[in-house]
Amino acid sequence: MANTQLVTRRHAVVSETRHLLFSVMPGALWIFIFLVLPSLYLMAVAFMTNGSYGLPELPLSLDAFKQLAGFGFLGWSPGNLYTLLRSLWQTLVSTALVVVVAYPIAYYITTCRAKLRPLMLLAVVVPSWTNQVIRAFGWMNLLAPGTPLSDAAQALGLIGDYMGLYPSNFAVTLGLVYNFLPFMVLPLYAAFEKLDVAQVQAAQDLYASPMRAFWHAVFPQTLPGLLAGTVLVAIPAFGMYVIPELLGGGKGMMLGNLVANQFAGGSNWPLGAAGALLMLLATFVGLFAMRRIGKRLGGGEEVVI
Amino acid sequence: MKTITTRVVTALGGLLLAGAAQAEEGKLYLFNWTEYMDPAIIQAFEEKYDVEVVQNYFNSLPEMFAKLNTGGASQYDIIVPSNYYVPRLIETGLVQKLDKSKIPNFDNIMDQFKDTDYDPNSDYTAAYQYGVTGIVYNAETFPDAPKSWSLLFDPEVNPGRPFGLMGDGQVSMGAACAYLGHGYTCTDPDAWKEAAKLLLDTKQRANFSGFVDGTPALQQLARGVTHVSLSYNGDYLFYKEENPDSFANIEFMIPDEGTEIWVDSMMIPSGAPNPELAHKFINFILDPEIGAQLSNYNYYSSPNEAAKPYLEAVLTQPPVTPSDADLERLSFTPSLQGDKLQMFNQLWTEVQSR
Amino acid sequence: MRKRTLNRGLAGFWWLTLIFLYLPLAIVVLFSFNSTNSAANFTSFSLRWYHRLLGNEQIISAFYNSLVLACVSSIVALVIGCLIGYGMYRHRHRKLGWLIVLIYLPIVLPDIVFGISEMAFFVQFNRLTGLLEPGLGTMIIAHVTFQIPFVALIVYSRFVGLDPSLFEAAKDLYASPFKRALHFLLPTLKPALISAFFLSFTLSIDDFVISFFTAGPESATLPIYIWGAIKKGVSPEINAIATLMIGAVALAAILSLLFNRQGRR
Repeated sequence: MANTQLVTRRHAVVSETRHLLFSVMPGALWIFIFLVLPSLYLMAVAFMTNGSYGLPELPLSLDAFKQLAGFGFLGWSPGNLYTLLRSLWQTLVSTALVVVVAYPIAYYITTCRAKLRPLMLLAVVVPSWTNQVIRAFGWMNLLAPGTPLSDAAQALGLIGDYMGLYPSNFAVTLGLVYNFLPFMVLPLYAAFEKLDVAQVQAAQDLYASPMRAFWHAVFPQTLPGLLAGTVLVAIPAFGMYVIPELLGGGKGMMLGNLVANQFAGGSNWPLGAAGALLMLLATFVGLFAMRRIGKRLGGGEEVVI
Repeated sequence: MKTITTRVVTALGGLLLAGAAQAEEGKLYLFNWTEYMDPAIIQAFEEKYDVEVVQNYFNSLPEMFAKLNTGGASQYDIIVPSNYYVPRLIETGLVQKLDKSKIPNFDNIMDQFKDTDYDPNSDYTAAYQYGVTGIVYNAETFPDAPKSWSLLFDPEVNPGRPFGLMGDGQVSMGAACAYLGHGYTCTDPDAWKEAAKLLLDTKQRANFSGFVDGTPALQQLARGVTHVSLSYNGDYLFYKEENPDSFANIEFMIPDEGTEIWVDSMMIPSGAPNPELAHKFINFILDPEIGAQLSNYNYYSSPNEAAKPYLEAVLTQPPVTPSDADLERLSFTPSLQGDKLQMFNQLWTEVQSR
Repeated sequence: MRKRTLNRGLAGFWWLTLIFLYLPLAIVVLFSFNSTNSAANFTSFSLRWYHRLLGNEQIISAFYNSLVLACVSSIVALVIGCLIGYGMYRHRHRKLGWLIVLIYLPIVLPDIVFGISEMAFFVQFNRLTGLLEPGLGTMIIAHVTFQIPFVALIVYSRFVGLDPSLFEAAKDLYASPFKRALHFLLPTLKPALISAFFLSFTLSIDDFVISFFTAGPESATLPIYIWGAIKKGVSPEINAIATLMIGAVALAAILSLLFNRQGRR
């Protein structure tokens, strides 16, 4: 009796496992074959030698990483360091700007009538449904020399005569903010919507200044949304390729362009792969840091990823 | 559950096969520069051989080379690279030898474009067009523009107007070398370093607008995004003809310090799906009348000796056909290989990233 | 009093942000009707750039490619992602950490790294086997890869939102698992499936970088065509194509609004 029960239970376990395999395996295999394997291959490329015309060759070496760090035929040069710092700087500035814009917007939406809110959210999101190439092209048109915005900037002495706001590093920052704003508004809105009003009122009674009330009652509650938004904005911004390429002219190169140029310009696959590896590393460090901060500040599981 | 899995597996298999069965009979895949082919010629070829021509375009040689390296070598039947990329295409095995017996019109090519430095014995190339890279500028802005690279590199000649440099590193570097007095064809490491430094300084100037490929440089000029840039003589005339209003003040100039003359050649990639048709296409283009029609359309000089009688007058005078005095100042961009190429790439990456 | 000024300020800021969001698109639309090739001056109304589009075979084939890519990849991703979502829910009490990592990988990977790894891999694979030449096939594979996680997560969260006793009831009602799937799972999943499909579709249309690196000679999509046209320097025609795409997006926005409203009723 007990024996048959055991058998059926084991049978059940086996069939459950089989069920799991059949449901999950196609997708897991797909991602493994078409993403994990390619990424591993790319990592391997980073450790190969650059052939005479840019393709990876054996033997294995660390040349690509040395080159990425700036060591080449001519001794050390700072070019790649500039690119890296520029990428970090652009990511930092654009993420900060996105937060500054998205925070009041997300709050404002929650204060509006419930019926209006989905419409307002939609209005924020819709521009991001168009392709990023088109959006960047729109800014190229808006910021070119001779356009009203460029003329205004000239009149204010921000740029030289005859110059445009595009191409420039400023245009890249603007493009990044434009591109990623919705990614911050949505999670922040979700956080504001869940805001515990009782807590805020208590804080208003407790602290005299509204600034402190905000800081102690509102801000911590929106933190999970803020962190989620930061992840959604900063990671893709750091690896951005299209916007610096179209809006940056010759001065706005970012890590994504350095990597892409090694492949699309056909000059050095191992170097490009090493750059991609660095980008991956930065991504995972960023994710890890966000998770840690989120946990410490009590956001807990709500933080995406 | 199982049925769905099977279906997914079948679908996956179908996707794999779809990739393999892409190349079709009766199709010619042409990978060419933008604005470089008369649509009427394509149509005539399609009708003559009852085939379809699929055209793809590139804006710069690095872009073309990268595409060929990433699968393109078995997807295109004809490519049209410039002289200094020919040796590296041959060395990397991305192209195949031409079968001259299938190209009776090959003899029409001028002797100077046969058996060249970049392709001894003309095993791989059949010349398509040749032309000059020079400075294009807005004559309204620069009425007394000097015939010199100083228009780009000297901040005193152009203190405040936006300008662009060539996206293809070897050309921009050659221009800087020429301005510094090392000649357009310099490959000496010290001269290169000096040129790279000049490019870096030039880049830091507030009115530097960016690196741009030859064809879009002209559009930028017409739209006032830049006032001086680098481009090709044929494209310049082509656009001027097409849009006389916007290009009224745009001029083309060969600087005294020297610049680039180039030859674009038709080549057949090593894995071309339809090499038979590719040979027919090369032979078709080398036909005297078709060769002339091509030049008459895109305003580049024809390397086709037999086409001469059919060329329009415009094509036989500067800037399309350079004068003898100009010819002395023109040179081919050097083909780089091995350590030289790696070193150049590092310098160029440095210039781009700072 | 103070609160009212604050609210007024916020409202002003909201409208400014909306202008910021829509101005670049509005400019593209406006200048697509410009009769001259200028980004700075609007001369007069004309449809000449649209006329040019109609005769352009490349644009038509790019449009077709975009559509095929988005449809096929979304359907494949829907099937595979749905299975994962279901598996994740059924076995949520097991340790599935590896699966979660696998699913989040395509979401967090910067798309340039994504595109380049796929490209390098496909090129190498093609060299070894002759299969998977760059083209629509490789693009579909790449798109499915980044769509699967989104479908899986949407389906999974729909399941989590359901009352577990429903499953028991369904088990009693339909004996065969196939019937159960047909009469219970699919209908309850319908809204999730629809939104997952639309999300996949939008993601595919919105993608440029991954498509760019996995495309072949005949598989250029609209964004790739536009990219090429920008690089080549022809502007007014791009305005016209972009306007058509913006129009499609606006239509989608209105549809989703109507759909939402109906769903709430």
